[in-house]
Amino acid sequence: MTFDRGADHGTAFTRRTAIKSGAGLAFAAATFPRFARAATPKPDRLTMLYATSEADSDAIKAAVPDFKKAFGFELRLDTMPYNALQQKAFAELASGSAYYDVMIVDTPWMPALTHKILPITDMVLDASRLPAGELQIDDFIPKVFFDTAVYKPDASYLHWDGGSTIDPAEIKKRGFEIFGLPIQANVLTLAYRADIFAEQHVTAPQTWDEFATVAKKLTDPSKRQWGTTMMAGPGDWATDDFKTLLACFGGDGHLVNDRFQPVFDSPEGRQALTFYVDLIQKLKVTPPGTTSASWDTAATTFGTGLAAMSPNYHTETLNPNVGGRISYAMIPKQVQYGPHFGTWMLSINSFSKNKEWAFRAIAWFTSREVQTKALATQLHPTRRSVYAAAMQDTGLTGKFGNFYDVLGKSLEVGVGRPRLTNYADVDRAIWIAVNNAARGAVAPEVALHRAADEVRKLLADAGYKP
Amino acid sequence: MPGGAEARRAAYLGWGLLSPALVLLLLMTAVPTIYLVYYSLHHVDLLGPGTHFVGLANFRRVLSDPEILRSFAVTILFVALAVAIEIGLGLAIALMLARRLPETNLLTALFILPLGVAPVVSALVFRVLLDPAYGWIDYYLQSWGVISQPIDWLGDPLNAWIAIIGLDVWQWTPFVALILLAGLQAIPQDPVEAARLDGAGPVALFWHITLPFLRSFIAIAMVFRAIEAFKTFAGVEVLTGGGPGSTTELINLDLYRLALQDFDVGAAAALGFCFLVLLSVVMQQMLKVLGRNTDILEE
Repeated sequence: MTFDRGADHGTAFTRRTAIKSGAGLAFAAATFPRFARAATPKPDRLTMLYATSEADSDAIKAAVPDFKKAFGFELRLDTMPYNALQQKAFAELASGSAYYDVMIVDTPWMPALTHKILPITDMVLDASRLPAGELQIDDFIPKVFFDTAVYKPDASYLHWDGGSTIDPAEIKKRGFEIFGLPIQANVLTLAYRADIFAEQHVTAPQTWDEFATVAKKLTDPSKRQWGTTMMAGPGDWATDDFKTLLACFGGDGHLVNDRFQPVFDSPEGRQALTFYVDLIQKLKVTPPGTTSASWDTAATTFGTGLAAMSPNYHTETLNPNVGGRISYAMIPKQVQYGPHFGTWMLSINSFSKNKEWAFRAIAWFTSREVQTKALATQLHPTRRSVYAAAMQDTGLTGKFGNFYDVLGKSLEVGVGRPRLTNYADVDRAIWIAVNNAARGAVAPEVALHRAADEVRKLLADAGYKP
Repeated sequence: MPGGAEARRAAYLGWGLLSPALVLLLLMTAVPTIYLVYYSLHHVDLLGPGTHFVGLANFRRVLSDPEILRSFAVTILFVALAVAIEIGLGLAIALMLARRLPETNLLTALFILPLGVAPVVSALVFRVLLDPAYGWIDYYLQSWGVISQPIDWLGDPLNAWIAIIGLDVWQWTPFVALILLAGLQAIPQDPVEAARLDGAGPVALFWHITLPFLRSFIAIAMVFRAIEAFKTFAGVEVLTGGGPGSTTELINLDLYRLALQDFDVGAAAALGFCFLVLLSVVMQQMLKVLGRNTDILEE
């Protein structure tokens, strides 16, 4: 069957095609009732709710004219900053509004939304209506795909544990569903000043012990130069710093396991937090203000040339007057890798009146072709093939150095969050503990113990019984 | 009785004319309050069919949470400190501006500038200014030899308190100064002249003439500022996010988190209702103070 996307694509509708289509539709009707209807008429337009800066809205804006060419109708794009976006998305879904056909969804939101976001597993299984090769579901980075898009609708706290091959039929068989297609994969990477490293004859650290040594060597407060930024201020970033270290030191970086037990108040957790506190308090390799730093302030500190290394989600840039060079490395490991990651996906509003077209739209936006074009604005792709293309593109490597190489490798070993409807509260309990320990107000083990008690109470209040 | 009928007609007319405003007032105050109470007694599941009556469970939950009780205390302390400093500084500025110097108009215009800046913008600017790594405040304090090491303004509880109070004082002191300036300009000159003739110095004049005349204006400024200070959210959320730890966590930050991050509407409604009760009690006391100091409210 040839899928007519719009004015630019003619439909070759022959008798043979008609017979094949009829047989295909009959098969689909028998197998996948949700998607068995005839293709719905083309809408006047689709509407999409998207994140302003956290998921590179520039890349999506740049793709919108191509979308119109490909589909023959417009896509109206609304972008909002994080907090407003979450409130808007939840309000739209809570009120049953059909206004947005496509919504961007962040991983921490999804456990509460499995009955409001449309499962697309059946559509993925019957992808015959899409242009050949567009969906290529097994091209997505498996860790990213499973952590972002695969949930059990009535047990949204469960992580997928059925292997690392993306097989929609197996997903369906095990009672899970696919709830969207990953679009922007954020993971902690280590940006460092290649010029300073070369000058001081040091290389990018491979372990956290090396990290501490390098950071100490590159710290000289009299020259207003510190080894590294850290994000120990009150906010999600402090939890993400800690969960990365926890995973690297051999703990469970999810913080709370699928049986609702806090797993961060462990020997590995205490070791990780003690190491973190020592970087700030004992070794003093971080600039002043680290215990109130966030993603943004850490990026600004690095950008103004005050730090030689910066673990961050952000795209790092140096101010023109600093005049150095940035290179990237994976976040060091200790006993294993464990950088925190969290990915945005494009999902379909279950109240949308244009579900089939919305599916075609998200397949198009997350396709290899569109993601490859979006590399120019530094979209963080979710497909392996796009990373391979990025590393072979000399224009991109000239502009962004080894950024995509490191990003792709880091995503393969990333560790996500626990799947809890009240993750915001759990997150807060942990960042308060990390912040209190980082500024020396309490000992790391006391901070973690208190946080674990608080998290147990929060989980019980939310109805999560171990 | 024609007189009685006329009085009744006048009363009906009065109620008739008043009724649109009364209906509007009820819609704007009573209905939301009833709605708030209704939700505070329910577990509200915005995204599913799980909304159900839970009695006082939401109240028990929020009032047994030590973090929330601490936030109540933090809020009261914040309001008390901010308003007291603003009244003191506002009075000093008003006294300076009341001297009718040639520069007074220019200074008045400059002093009211902070009132025109949105709290979020003020907080963002303060955040950059106070950054110990690249902010101007620490840079100049070090350059002038006032401090030897940068001060971590937002990473230490005491400094963070100075920062949030400083932001509020910077933003709202001009408002207090304007009210008190109006009061100073309304003081009759006869008693002042008489006191001067009797040999009263500046301190005696201020203490025995100016301050008693200003009492009603100070009370009005205090009530207005306290109401606004209890509503503080954006500035503190942007500047400290409630940190370090949870040492500057105001009750409004908890309300925001419960309602718009956790979407736990029932608990947020219960907390909102408790806050409303607290505010009503505090405001009742403040209005009594205001009433004792103003002729209008006494009547």
